[in-house]
Amino acid sequence: MKKIVIALSLILLFTAPLIVSAPFFVHLMIMVLMWTVLGASWNILGGFTGQVSFGHATFLGAGAYTTMILYLKLGIAPWYGIPIGGLVAALIALPIGFICFRLRGPYFALSTLAVAEIIRLVALNWESLTNGPVGLLITTLPDVTFRGRSIDWENKIPFYYIIAIITLGSIVATYIMSRTRLGAYSLAIREDIDSAEAIGINTVQARVAALSLSAFFAGVAGGFYAMYLRYIDPDAVFSIALSIEMVFIAVVGGLTTVAGPLIGAIVLVAFGEIFREIFLVHFKLVGHLIFYGLMMMIVIRYLPEGIWGRLRLRFGSQH
Amino acid sequence: MALLAVKGLTKYFGGLRAVHDLSFDVQTGEILGLIGPNGAGKTTAFNLIAGFIHPTRGEILLDGESIAGMKPYAVTRKGIARTFQIVKPFRKLSVLENVTLAAFLRFPSRGEAESQARQVLERMGLESKISALAVDLTLSEQKRLEIARALATQPKLLLLDEPMGGLNATEIEQASLLVRDICKGGVTIIWVEHVLKAIMNSSNRVVVINQGEKIADAPPEQIVENPDVIAAYLGTKKR
Repeated sequence: MKKIVIALSLILLFTAPLIVSAPFFVHLMIMVLMWTVLGASWNILGGFTGQVSFGHATFLGAGAYTTMILYLKLGIAPWYGIPIGGLVAALIALPIGFICFRLRGPYFALSTLAVAEIIRLVALNWESLTNGPVGLLITTLPDVTFRGRSIDWENKIPFYYIIAIITLGSIVATYIMSRTRLGAYSLAIREDIDSAEAIGINTVQARVAALSLSAFFAGVAGGFYAMYLRYIDPDAVFSIALSIEMVFIAVVGGLTTVAGPLIGAIVLVAFGEIFREIFLVHFKLVGHLIFYGLMMMIVIRYLPEGIWGRLRLRFGSQH
Repeated sequence: MALLAVKGLTKYFGGLRAVHDLSFDVQTGEILGLIGPNGAGKTTAFNLIAGFIHPTRGEILLDGESIAGMKPYAVTRKGIARTFQIVKPFRKLSVLENVTLAAFLRFPSRGEAESQARQVLERMGLESKISALAVDLTLSEQKRLEIARALATQPKLLLLDEPMGGLNATEIEQASLLVRDICKGGVTIIWVEHVLKAIMNSSNRVVVINQGEKIADAPPEQIVENPDVIAAYLGTKKR
């Protein structure tokens, strides 16, 4: 049963843009998958170790800027730039982790918010590297031939497959983490950090490791975001709103679950987008935030373990 | 050489003198009772030894090696495990997982860690509860889980912080047996307790502290007759 569900999901994941190829829907699916990766990133830290970060846009932005700068200044193609962006984000997470994890609970959460603002202001002012508030723009992506044909970057479908592979990577990483000692230690830290120390867990090291893995995926998603939209500026990739949206997706989907971020992204991003259209057309309002707010209230009140967190027990799944 | 030697241990919290110039030894195979009135500094002394707080002054030697100022996880790796006065289980994890996590310290593979955890849980009489969530246990069971988790790190020295607190008379009797049994199994014990009867029956030696200072260090039968100890607990007669 479980294998069938996984196989069907995989087939659906890789054939979806062939079934519905209208650009709007492909764009919507790309956004859902990108936010799945970002939700999975937040879940690796916030779900497993219970450390609440309000500053995850830092890592998204680090990945986005790395990918952009490598391409524009050094001519390194984005498909190398995206994983390098992830690594840069993971590296940046190390000093941030060693400093901020000296704090606990709400104080840690506030420090992540402060760090995110500092990094945003650095990006805004370091004009020689980032172009400051003007932002960075890619006009053309490099030529790539796939099976003898040149890939058409004006079409959205190639982007869909890139993000589909990244999404798969983030879900597999979450699954692997849930089965390893790092995952087990993370849960111990989430449950009681003093007890975790008392049984010999170096909780700073474990939290930094989780943060770094989490930052890697946020950075990869950020690199993809830069390549897909072809334009970034500090407010677009370092904004607090992005950090908060990652929290929403992870929480609505279900913390510490493997499939939760995907469910959270489908519900919030896809339905949010549909609500945005309805509100724009009928009321001339940007209304999707009302939907986000309502979903958050409903989930916190009735499904504190998240949508998938509740449903998975029905399906007899632990993931 | 003493297993643990505490020398001139001192801790100030701002102007408050929580522990002052405390010195005592623990020999391998002993059960050392640590008692004193409320606020005497027992738990502070524990937290100092376990690395949860750093001493203002003083030395803590385990097998002759200084451990003062080490982080709690490093102290545990050196072979000192502790329990908490107010139990701190991993509430939403199973009993088995609670202890397995501790066993990971000495057994990196999950299979070995789990089988080690099962053995310890059996000794603690919790084998029927292994798949229950820690949060669903009774207080007495949670106290035993707390000890099981500490034992799973295979300590040389076990620090028990009021393992009898909140237990009824029968449970106290069982817990005393358990503590003596752990000691027979080769683990040295320092035991902070308010239930004096249990301490007097089980300890080889008792250290009494009052207002952060040691006032007595003797076998239990001498402690109960020590005038300083009686004064600390009951106060002195006005003359």
